[in-house]
Amino acid sequence: MTQQLTAAPPRIGRARAAFVRPWLLLAPALLVLAVLLLWPLVRVFLFSLQDYGLREITTGEPNWTGVDNYAEILSTPELWTVVLPNTVGFAVLAVAGTVAFGTGVAVLLASLGTFWRTVTSSAIMAAWAMPAVTGTYVWVWIFDADRGVFNDVLMGLGLLDDPTNWFTDRWTFYAIVLLNVIHHGFPFVAVTVLAGLLGVPKEMLEAAEMDGAGSFRRFFSIIVPQLRQVFAVVIILSTIWDFKVFAQVYLMPGGAGSNRSVLNLGVWSYVESFGQNRYGFGSAIAVLLTLLLLVITAVYVRTVLAEEER
Amino acid sequence: MSTTRTAPALRPLRRTSRRSPLRQLGKGVLVALLLAFTLFPVYWMLNSSLDAQAGHTNSFWPAEPTLDHYWFVLTEGGFGTFLRNSLLVALGTVLISSALALLASVAVARFRFRMRTQILMLVLIVQMVPLEALVIPLFVQVRDLQLLETLIGLVVVYVALALPFGIWMLRGFVAAVPIELEEAAYLDGASWGRMFWSVLLPLVAPGLVATSIFSFITAWNEFIFAMTMLGGATENYTVAIGLRSFFGVHSNDWGAIMAASTIITVPVMIFFILVQRRLASGLTAGAVKA
Repeated sequence: MTQQLTAAPPRIGRARAAFVRPWLLLAPALLVLAVLLLWPLVRVFLFSLQDYGLREITTGEPNWTGVDNYAEILSTPELWTVVLPNTVGFAVLAVAGTVAFGTGVAVLLASLGTFWRTVTSSAIMAAWAMPAVTGTYVWVWIFDADRGVFNDVLMGLGLLDDPTNWFTDRWTFYAIVLLNVIHHGFPFVAVTVLAGLLGVPKEMLEAAEMDGAGSFRRFFSIIVPQLRQVFAVVIILSTIWDFKVFAQVYLMPGGAGSNRSVLNLGVWSYVESFGQNRYGFGSAIAVLLTLLLLVITAVYVRTVLAEEER
Repeated sequence: MSTTRTAPALRPLRRTSRRSPLRQLGKGVLVALLLAFTLFPVYWMLNSSLDAQAGHTNSFWPAEPTLDHYWFVLTEGGFGTFLRNSLLVALGTVLISSALALLASVAVARFRFRMRTQILMLVLIVQMVPLEALVIPLFVQVRDLQLLETLIGLVVVYVALALPFGIWMLRGFVAAVPIELEEAAYLDGASWGRMFWSVLLPLVAPGLVATSIFSFITAWNEFIFAMTMLGGATENYTVAIGLRSFFGVHSNDWGAIMAASTIITVPVMIFFILVQRRLASGLTAGAVKA
């Protein structure tokens, strides 16, 4: 394997070419990643240790304040009552909802004939392809307080007397975000789990069926263990995505900071930085969000690498 | 699971029970509900964009069919400029990020060298960094380069955002090219560069197309950087933030917003359906063996 991989043209010395060439090929990409992703990550950490505002941006002079920003974040009551529940609680619900719904859809798809499977998966693709920005606007329009179709239908059915503004209440606000995120996120789960389902050996299922296992039993005792890796990747990727929801909250009425009860970590960081010009404080919030995601990512990398080595 | 297909001889009873009308009906209802839930937002977007009454009275099909909203958006609304900007930014991103990703993926797929695993890990991990953490330092960085409010500034940022996934995805395509083909080219006296152009590149082309489409969608849909970096430079707005110009202080022009949303969404949907299989396999990266 190793020898084959280092196959090099005969003109240059084999060993030298094998040593130099990969680094030459990697150099442009690594340069971009270093300058535009790694250095900014270092910098956001450095900003988070400063009182970094407009003055510091223009002069470029540092203004170190140690861990003051972090102390302020952790002592803000809003963090514990509003921001963290909105971030973590939402992510948990969204991941559970997306994975459960997506898996259900995959099982349904697997039981369909070719024609209906093609029709349904094409429809699912349409939901997946909807950009977050336009998708969010469509949901905002559907639930619009004055002229949205949701209020119209509810009033038509006599379930509602007056138009309700669903965006002011924290719970209904996040219920709409949840609907939006699940609608956009379940296709990935469904397509991935379906691919896994179709790969489960039929002999195993038949054997279990002959032994008298019902369909629920077959699902949880054979399919789920077989798809452990698939579920691990799907759950971890969904978790990472759902912790980072930004446009889906920011673009909703009141979501851009004017309604403090719907802030999550990402939006809080953004509005403190670009709304209040407190870039240092915003950076500290962003660092906390990044650390949270790094822990989840570490789990993801270990899962993927463990799979590759098998 | 299509177990019925392989077990008819063994399970005649089961088979008839599965085909029972009640079961088929239940499945039909589930499919109908799923289709309704999945397609309703897209349908509602199209419906409102084609209805002159959108924003006044709701109806489930266009009460007064018209293309006026599209016409308004593309002329007075200035959406033509936003479309051109988005197209320029997306094409710039695709060209640069695909070229860089291709070279890098050849390195990690074809060579074994020290630090190879560490570089792969790096590529995986940087994909997880939240944009909210990057937007503050990159804003400062792009400002120092005097590229705020320019399209070039956006391209620079989007190349960085699209690159890690591009490398990760192309890596699989490069690895799938049989090494024997490369060796045959060397035996015929080709140099490494010649082999790369005449053997590797044509064979990796489908993967390059898939990766390009992904980069295109990333740049086309991106919102937070466009909003932050373009600031008040309306003439440089991309489609994702150009949409906001149809929101009024007191009332929103929903017909126009939905028409503009349709114009943004349709190219993405077409591309997405073209690329979806590869996208799914690229994301899970070996977790699903199809």
